[in-house]
This record gives sequence, structure tokens and C-alpha cells, in this order.
Amino acid sequence: MASQASLLLQKQLKDLCKNPVDGFSAGLVDESNIFEWSVTIIGPPDTLYEGGFFNAIMSFPSNYPNSPPSVKFTSEIWHPNVYPDGRVCISILHPPGEDPNGYELASERWTPVHTVESIVLSIISMLSSPNDESPANVEAAKEWRDRRDDFKKKVSRCVRKSQEML
Amino acid sequence: MESEDDMHDANDIDSLDDDFYSGETEDAPLDYYSDYDDEADDYFEDADRIESRRPEQNFTILKESDIKQRQEEDVTRVATVLSISRIFASILLRYYNWSVSRVHDAWFADEEQVRKTVGLLEKPIVQLDNNTKELTCGICFENYPRARIEMASCGHPYCISCWEGYISTSISDGPGCLMLRCPDPTCGAAVGQDMISLLKSDEDKQKYARYLLRSYIEDNKKSKWCPAPGCEYAVTFDAGSGGNYDVSCLCSYSFCWNCTEEAHRPVDCGTVAKWILKNSAESENMNWILANSKPCPKCKRPIEKNQGCMHMTCTPPCKYEFCWLCLGVWSDHGERTGGFYACNRYETAKQEGVYDDTERRREMAKNSLERYTHYYERWASNQSSRQKALADLQQMQTVHIEKLSDIQCQPESQLKFITEAWLQIIECRRVLKWTYAYGFYLPEHEHAKKQFFEYLQGEAESGLERLHQCAEKELQPFLCADEPSREFNDFRTKLAGLTSVTRNYFENLVRALENGLSDVDSNGASFSRATSSKNAAGSSKSRSGRVKGTFRTSMSSRMNDDSHWCCEHCTYANVKSATTCQMCYQQRR
Repeated sequence: MASQASLLLQKQLKDLCKNPVDGFSAGLVDESNIFEWSVTIIGPPDTLYEGGFFNAIMSFPSNYPNSPPSVKFTSEIWHPNVYPDGRVCISILHPPGEDPNGYELASERWTPVHTVESIVLSIISMLSSPNDESPANVEAAKEWRDRRDDFKKKVSRCVRKSQEML
Repeated sequence: MESEDDMHDANDIDSLDDDFYSGETEDAPLDYYSDYDDEADDYFEDADRIESRRPEQNFTILKESDIKQRQEEDVTRVATVLSISRIFASILLRYYNWSVSRVHDAWFADEEQVRKTVGLLEKPIVQLDNNTKELTCGICFENYPRARIEMASCGHPYCISCWEGYISTSISDGPGCLMLRCPDPTCGAAVGQDMISLLKSDEDKQKYARYLLRSYIEDNKKSKWCPAPGCEYAVTFDAGSGGNYDVSCLCSYSFCWNCTEEAHRPVDCGTVAKWILKNSAESENMNWILANSKPCPKCKRPIEKNQGCMHMTCTPPCKYEFCWLCLGVWSDHGERTGGFYACNRYETAKQEGVYDDTERRREMAKNSLERYTHYYERWASNQSSRQKALADLQQMQTVHIEKLSDIQCQPESQLKFITEAWLQIIECRRVLKWTYAYGFYLPEHEHAKKQFFEYLQGEAESGLERLHQCAEKELQPFLCADEPSREFNDFRTKLAGLTSVTRNYFENLVRALENGLSDVDSNGASFSRATSSKNAAGSSKSRSGRVKGTFRTSMSSRMNDDSHWCCEHCTYANVKSATTCQMCYQQRR
């Protein structure tokens, strides 16, 4: 039986194929599983990540869109808001229930109106402006703040690697 | 206990006393003792009067239906005063922790700001064209006929099944669902109870209703749930009416409204908190130390013996050598004591030798552990004694009363005095328990207070022991008897008498502790005079004189004398000239 989640995901997939959005491309990891998406994010121009092609996997829960998907980079990426294992940590991927003051920041957290497109656009904007206040990768955040040159070097290495993988 | 209340109480104590004696113990019990059989009913009337004469209750116990009713009333009030829907009123109240006055204050100060922060929109953000037949759901992006689309006050359209998913996810996340907002991230419109009723699942609706009910108690400063396990009642408390925080729930659990520990009158919350903290930090250590160690006979440090022979050498700097068995000095050991390894001189010789000041100080430091143990053991034993009494009362009510009623051919209503005795025991054990926490924190240097306190505590405790003994042991023969015993009425008289006497002792104790033992400060002189001069307090026989002199009279009688007689029933020491006991009103025999 097709659930609400799978119907909605199929619809979004179809829309993205028909009307691709600048900055990323999306598809399924495995054609038979609508809950696992593979997206390739193009490093946004005029940022340290420009020129990179970063692969990520989006995993949707069965009660999507009421709960958010998780996003994990499979390409190596050095960024304050990406855990060393590749998981992405941004506020719109957190369900509002987790935060005791959730209602105050509801607009920054997950709500069911978000789509694959709005999530990926949030990730792209995260790449261009890291938030070093609640970092997932503390080392990267410290470097970003204190030793920007080292940080740049590491990111360039990631960008080069991602190009070689193509 | 606020200091102001203390002063108030201190000034009022005499009038309270008068009231207390004239109403409660004076008239009816006299009748009842003099001729019980004819006037048996008086006793029970009197008991009722005691109930109704309790100080005005400053708390209310709420059942679920009461809570709902109050909640509804508050919502209606806000809705009426602010001319808004009940749904909005409920959201507002929830936001302002169910304080009607805070809602009113905030609303009339700046309605627009309140509407914005709480999310109660006057006009929809999204205006709908009335002619629109179909709308697109903002979550699943399907088109639906108008009837399948719902929206909060903002007008953002979502289909019913997406709403259901959104709301039930939020409900399963917890009480945060009471603050639910529109799914659109740019919109803060509140989602109220009307949207909840869209849900198909009764389970979710019930959960939401439960959270709403709980919120009314938990987020409201004036109410709390009864902390007893399994109890579903709540308590509202009127804090304005004085220092007594004791609350007793309909489930029979008594607790302190202020700190939600069990009821601890007359000891204040701060002392209780300190004591509980101390116990949790030390009791386990203490139990282990008591079970597994002996103090060094010289330096008092606890020593664990984990191996080998009886020859102990304490660690430096003490280095005392002693025998583990008899704790005597090792140099005395040898053949005379039965050999080195099996000491037969099993009694501890009192320590000899002169202590100099440093040694005494050191001993005092070690003794602090002993001091704590002293109070803790008594605190804990009253606690367990109370638990036992609770169980006994339960047993009494469910089994024994009926049995006794059969054996002694008495209606159960005539056996109420037994239940009352047990209730008194339970209450007294509770008070007594906490007086040991009080005693622990009573400063060492306040000698007069300490003496007075220990005197009152001792009197109360021995009264309680007599009562407990009587209720526990002396009832037994009547339970095992085959036929009605003639002595049963004597037993009734004795037990009821002890109950009322013990109550008096404890009321004295409670009152004195709540005054911070201030009688010692103001009456310290007369207190000491009374002990040296026989007649200072004892000669006054007038009613008021007796009342005021209660402590002092009995105190003096204890310290010197042949000019007093001890009541056979309650052991109260009366002046020689009295013919009836001034405490329990029994005739002198």
C-alpha cells in the first residue's frame, strides 16, 4: 500500500525531474526504495566550496513529512555543521519537540511544509555561511574561527577530492 | 515558618490554650470518664467537635471533575471579559500559566503584542477567495475541495489528513502540543482545541485532554498534584493564610505544600531539606560503618577488621594497640584474659586516664558521627514504627474491628476509639520523627533550649510509648477472648484517655517548636525558679494558672519531690492538693 509519505516523495521526485533546481541534482539510491535519496550538491559559487560536487544521502522516516529526514554526506567535507561522519546538523532537520523552548524557535525547526528542495537549499546556504556557535565538528569550527587559512586548505582538498570522484 | 507568624503564635499561645482546654478536653471527657456507659455518645460527639474545631483549612483537594470544572470556569471568565472565543481564551490561559489575572493584565496593557506573541490572529494572513472550489494543501501539495481543507486563524490551508499527521506527531512528542503553531515556518498562529477535534484517533484526543488537565495543575503556581504514588488528586493552596503548609490529601497522605516532602510540622522546610540531604549522603555510609566497624577505643575512628588476629593497631598518629573483641588495651592481654587470640574478658573496660583538652576536642570531632547516628537512628526508628502502625491500623480496620465487635458484642461504631488511638499514634510518630531532625540542628550552646526541648520530647515520647504499648499489646487478650470481657470498658477508658493525653503532649511539643522554643527566652527565669521553688508554679490551681503553667508544673515536679503524685493513667505529675489529674482528668486513686 502506498503511504502518504511515499506518495508525497514520489510527487516531489517527479517535480524535481521535470523542473530541476539550480545547485543540486536528486535521484533515488535504489529505484525500488522511495525513502532513500541520493543528492549531489554543487559547491555554491563565491564560497570556499565552489567547484565541488558533494554527494549526500537523504533518508526519510515512514512518517514523513511529520518527521524530518536525516542527511549524510558521503563525500568528505570539512564544515563546522557537518559531523566528522558526514551527518548534517542544521536546525530545520530537528523536530520541534526536542527543544524545551521549541515554540519560540518553531520557525527555524522542522515543520511538515518543508520539501526536499527547501532542505537542500538550506544545506547550500549552510555551506556558504557556517554557524560556528553550535558546531557539530568542533575542530572545524575552531579552525574556521581562528585559523582560517588552515580551514581553507582543508576545504580545498575536499573540493579537489570530490572532483576526482566524478 | 515565617518569623511574623511565630511572633503571632507566641503572643497567642495563651488564648489558644484556653480555647483548646475549655472546648476540647474539659467538658465532654469529664462526663465521659465519670460514667461512660450512659454517656457513651458524648464521646463521639466530642470527637466530631474536635474535627470541626480544627483551624480553618487553607487548602482544597481537587478531584478530576473539580479540576475540569475550575478550568472551564476560568476559560469562560477570560472569554467573557476579553470577548474572545473560548478556544482563544484557553490558549491564552495556557500561555500565562492559567493565571486569570496575568491574562487580564497583559491583554489590557497591550492587546496587539499579546495577540502576536501568543499567536491569536484577528485577521487571516492568507485571504481566501470565496469562490475558490479547490485548494492546494501546503504540506502534500495535492488539490482538495474546500471541505477537505482546514486552517488555523492564519488561513494557511492544509488538508485534513496532513493536519492529522501534524497534530498527532506533536501530541506524541509530549505536552508541547498545547503550544502548537501553524506548520508554516513564517507563521506563528496558535493551533487550538478546535483543530484537535479534527483528529480521528480517540487515543490522541484523550492524550491531549490529559495534557490540558495536567497543565492546569502543573503550570499553575497555586496547585500541585498530591505526591503520593498512584494518587490522582490535586491540591490548591491559599498561601496568604499563614505559615502552616501541611496538607492532607483525600488519599490520606499528608505532605508539605511548600516543599512536597512528607508533612513535617513542626520542623521547617529548610531543616527537613538539610536533614534529608544529610541522610542521603551519610546514611549508607552510616549503616555500613555501624554494621562492619568498631571505633578505636582511643581515638574513636571507625575501624574495619578485614583479616587476621585480634591484635589491632590503630593507624598513626593514634597507634593504639587493643583487642578487637573486648576493646581493651592489648598490653593487658595474655594468659590472664584467655590467651591472645580468644579473649574471654568480653566487657569493655571503661577508658582510664585523664583526657587533656586536645584529646577531648579530637574526641568531639569523632563524636559528631556518633551524634548524627544518635539522631538518625531515632528518626529512622520512628519512621519504621510509623510504617508499622499504618499497617496495624489497616489490619485493625479490615479485620480486627469486626472480630472484636463480634467477641465483645459491641457495635463497630463503639470501637471507634481504637481507630482513633491508632491515628493518633501514626500522627505522633510522624511529629516525633521530625523532632529528631530538629534536635540534630538545635545549636549545642543553647543549653536552656536544648534542655527544654529534650524535656518536652521526652515527655511526649514516653506518653506515646504508653499509648502505643496499650493499643498494641493490651488489646490482644480481648481479641483472643471467647466471650465479652468485663475489663473491656476499662480498656476503653484507658486507651481513650491515653489518646487524649498523648495528643495534649504532642500539641504542646508542636507549639513549642513552632515558637522556636521562645518560652525559654521569655520564661527562662521562671523556668529555673520553678525548679528550685516547689510552689512557684505548682500552687496555682486556678484554671488559667494551670494552663499557663503546664510545662513548668510538670517540670518542677519531676525534678524534686514528694509534694506531687503521679497519675496512674497518664503518669502526669500533679500537685499534691489536686484530686483529679490535671492532664487527663482521672480521679486520683
